[in-house]
Amino acid sequence: MRFIVVRRTKPHQYIKPLIIVLSLLTGMILVAILLVLIGAHPVTTLVTIAYSFITPQVVKDMLLLTMLGCALLISFKGAVWNVGAEGQLYVAIIPIVWITLYAVPWSASSPPHQQVLVILASITVAALFGAAWGAIAGALRAYVGIDEVPVTLIMNYVAYYLVNLLILGPFRGRYVYGYIRTDDLPDAYKLSINIVMQRTGNAFLDGFLEFIRAIVYYAYWVLAAILVALLTWVVFNYTSIGLRIKILGSNPEFLKAVGVDARKTILTALALSGSLVGIASAIYYLGDLTRLTYPIQSQTASYGYLAILVAWLSMLELPLIPLSAYVVSSLRNAGRNMQIFGLGGLESTLILLGSILLTYSTLRFLTEYEVRVVK
Amino acid sequence: MSDEYIVLKEISKRFAGGVVALDKVTIDIRMGEVLALLGENGAGKSTLIKILYGVYSADEGSIYINGRRVDVHSPTEAIKYGIVMVSQHPQLIDTLSVVENLALGLRNFNAFTSIRKISSFILEKSREFGVKVDPWEKVWRLTYTQKQLVEILRAMLLKARVILLDEALTYLPLEEKKKFYKFIKEFTAKGGSTVVITHKIPEALDVADRIAVLRRGRLVGIVEGTSARIEDVRRMMFGESAAEITYEKLPASQPGGRVVIETQDLWVTGDFGEDAVRGVDLRVREGEVVGIAGIVGNGQRELTQALMGLRKASRGRILIDGRNVTNRGIHEVREVGVGYIPDSPLALGISIDNSMAENIAALYQRKSALINWSEVYKVASSLIETYRIVIPGADSLIKVLSGGNIMKAVVSKEINYCKKALIAHNPTRALDEVSAAMVRRSIKEKAINNGVAVLLVSEDLDEIYQVSDSIHVMNSGKLYGPFPPDEAERSKVEHLMVI
Ligand SMILES: Nc1ncnc2c1ncn2[C@@H]1O[C@H](COP(=O)(O)OP(=O)(O)OP(=O)(O)O)[C@@H](O)[C@H]1O
Ligand SMILES: [Mg+2]
Repeated sequence: MRFIVVRRTKPHQYIKPLIIVLSLLTGMILVAILLVLIGAHPVTTLVTIAYSFITPQVVKDMLLLTMLGCALLISFKGAVWNVGAEGQLYVAIIPIVWITLYAVPWSASSPPHQQVLVILASITVAALFGAAWGAIAGALRAYVGIDEVPVTLIMNYVAYYLVNLLILGPFRGRYVYGYIRTDDLPDAYKLSINIVMQRTGNAFLDGFLEFIRAIVYYAYWVLAAILVALLTWVVFNYTSIGLRIKILGSNPEFLKAVGVDARKTILTALALSGSLVGIASAIYYLGDLTRLTYPIQSQTASYGYLAILVAWLSMLELPLIPLSAYVVSSLRNAGRNMQIFGLGGLESTLILLGSILLTYSTLRFLTEYEVRVVK
Repeated sequence: MSDEYIVLKEISKRFAGGVVALDKVTIDIRMGEVLALLGENGAGKSTLIKILYGVYSADEGSIYINGRRVDVHSPTEAIKYGIVMVSQHPQLIDTLSVVENLALGLRNFNAFTSIRKISSFILEKSREFGVKVDPWEKVWRLTYTQKQLVEILRAMLLKARVILLDEALTYLPLEEKKKFYKFIKEFTAKGGSTVVITHKIPEALDVADRIAVLRRGRLVGIVEGTSARIEDVRRMMFGESAAEITYEKLPASQPGGRVVIETQDLWVTGDFGEDAVRGVDLRVREGEVVGIAGIVGNGQRELTQALMGLRKASRGRILIDGRNVTNRGIHEVREVGVGYIPDSPLALGISIDNSMAENIAALYQRKSALINWSEVYKVASSLIETYRIVIPGADSLIKVLSGGNIMKAVVSKEINYCKKALIAHNPTRALDEVSAAMVRRSIKEKAINNGVAVLLVSEDLDEIYQVSDSIHVMNSGKLYGPFPPDEAERSKVEHLMVI
């Protein structure tokens, strides 16, 4: 008996989600074995990792990463590699800080509708700023021929420094003695719903209620994530630009031959991608971050970079974005929890991530090939 | 010893969407023979060859070599058994030189063949073939013929005993094709075997010892090459539809007065900086089909690309429907309503990783922000029906189609799209005879019924004569003619092609 590998001629329906879940499990088991080998308790280890998949903490990360993953999908589908979500994220926050603290600050005498208008304006302007930041890289790639990967990457740092300059200068808070950061977002502009829940004493029940609380707290995010995913779906399935981006990714020469301006398509893909990052950015700032702290590069949660992982893990399939967002955020949490529970420091997190990605990259060939047993 | 070298026994292959590509096909390949494998587009020819070459694996059935049952799971294994495939599209690495390409393939088989030996082998063989190839030239600079020769040389270096040619010779210029066929005859005389897939039936009858015909995944029969009659073979291939094959001259158009495609002293630069098109003056009136005959590589590609705005004109003017579109880009040209069947359909004609519907939408819905899918699907199903495209559905990816059906998708979408003009470069390549006849007819009908100005560029002189109202010859970038399409002057045209 031996194994042979043959090219798949009938695609397997569930192979892609299966691969994601399978690599996750393998990675977890590998890390557990490793940690046990260096002396950790096997049960503690597995429980810690497994626990990370069900903590309420995951809800927030997953929602945000779903939005960012969709944003990146828009450019990745066109083989335009926007690795600049991190920069677009922070650049989009700049106008929000200005609007909410300086242009239209909230005061006791403000009319109630101001709240809604400012929030809507913040989201819109953030989308525009994200789009503009993406469009710069788009224009350089389309009209000057500079590869977008280094450009978007470098622009992440440019964005960091721009934000730092603003925090140190005009945006420096008046009420934050001792810290270098912006003033807190006025409560009226916050996009979160806080509910208080009675503890029941039953650990399982409390855990569940905590989950509910997190989902309610992030209700707007759920809505936004659904909207962003829906928008992405509409773009790819019903709009010309979405179709153009897809063809740009599969055969740019044909795109030109039908008379479409491929360069404009590249530019639009990056701008569109950046604008969705901007929307996610507004939700993030208004719902959770609420202020910027100097220096931003050491304060950031690096969602912009994690999003690249999400998009890659999804194999560029929109329906798989939430699943891979969930996996990536759980991993992030597992890393954090392992450190908290003393199961090694950063290195064990990295090993966990590494082994999952390794199994993933290995298993990925199963989308194209199948393994058969022959006698 | 039996002379059956390879036996493919009861091979079946199904693809996604319930497509039965092969249904219990049994064929033997004998030593020292040329076996022609014929069948209409989508019959299963390429699939059968790919199974023997280890690209696909059969769902059922088995392969015997020299009476022993073998499993061929990859091309590497196939090559070990002496089976080498050459396809229509050369599988060479463009940025490497000829020698490097050949050395790469050999690495696994006989590691000690030195680069110097390979290079002198190439020189010797290219002299023998009469097709010049510089061993140190980068592959991207080679012509199609040169590339196909390199593929054949690779097969020889790999010590092939069976060469599979999947439409590999179809697009070679006539003279060079003859040289390749001569090589095949010599190869088989020395005991090698060749399987030839082609849609040119007379050619198959000419060269093949035996002819196997597939239809809708089944073997219809195998006949002797010497005794087979062309009508019988066609009947085996197409059944009733064989009656639709015609090479008779199509009715002439009544061209209007208006000139739709016009060039004035057009000069176009080729890929290597040479003047590929040299001072061409061309006029195509509405409702008229103007044919350009010529051997491949005489500037036809550059001319059609310049007309479409895909390539810069270095001098002169291009007017489409009275509009000056010189160097304005393809967008302006498409705007006028010009259909384009390109010489390289897989690059410029279609995106194989998208569905048929998406490919149609990309062209037809260029200007609307939102895509009207019901419109697109209506067009798609009418094209699928009219052109008998073998496809599971309009939302199937183009890459699952057979070679000829991909071409039908390209051609039908462009013919149906054109309103003012159609620029068609080898519109019937890869098509079986029935489909080719149908495409030629619909091109002519477009001209007669809709007043479309058609520029037909083809290396197939019979095709030019069948469809055109007037004929030019292109040679070394210059345009000769026009000539009337009567056979009396045909020898003059043929002469102009080769001077
Ligand atoms: N990879 C694939 N996935 C799904 N279907 C396929 C695939 N390859 C081929 N088919 C289907 O199998 C059938 C036979 O295809 P094949 O390429 O063997 O035809 P062919 O005889 O070579 O035709 P042509 O003359 O057009 O090249 C077609 O219906 C085609 O759509
Ligand atoms: Mg084929």
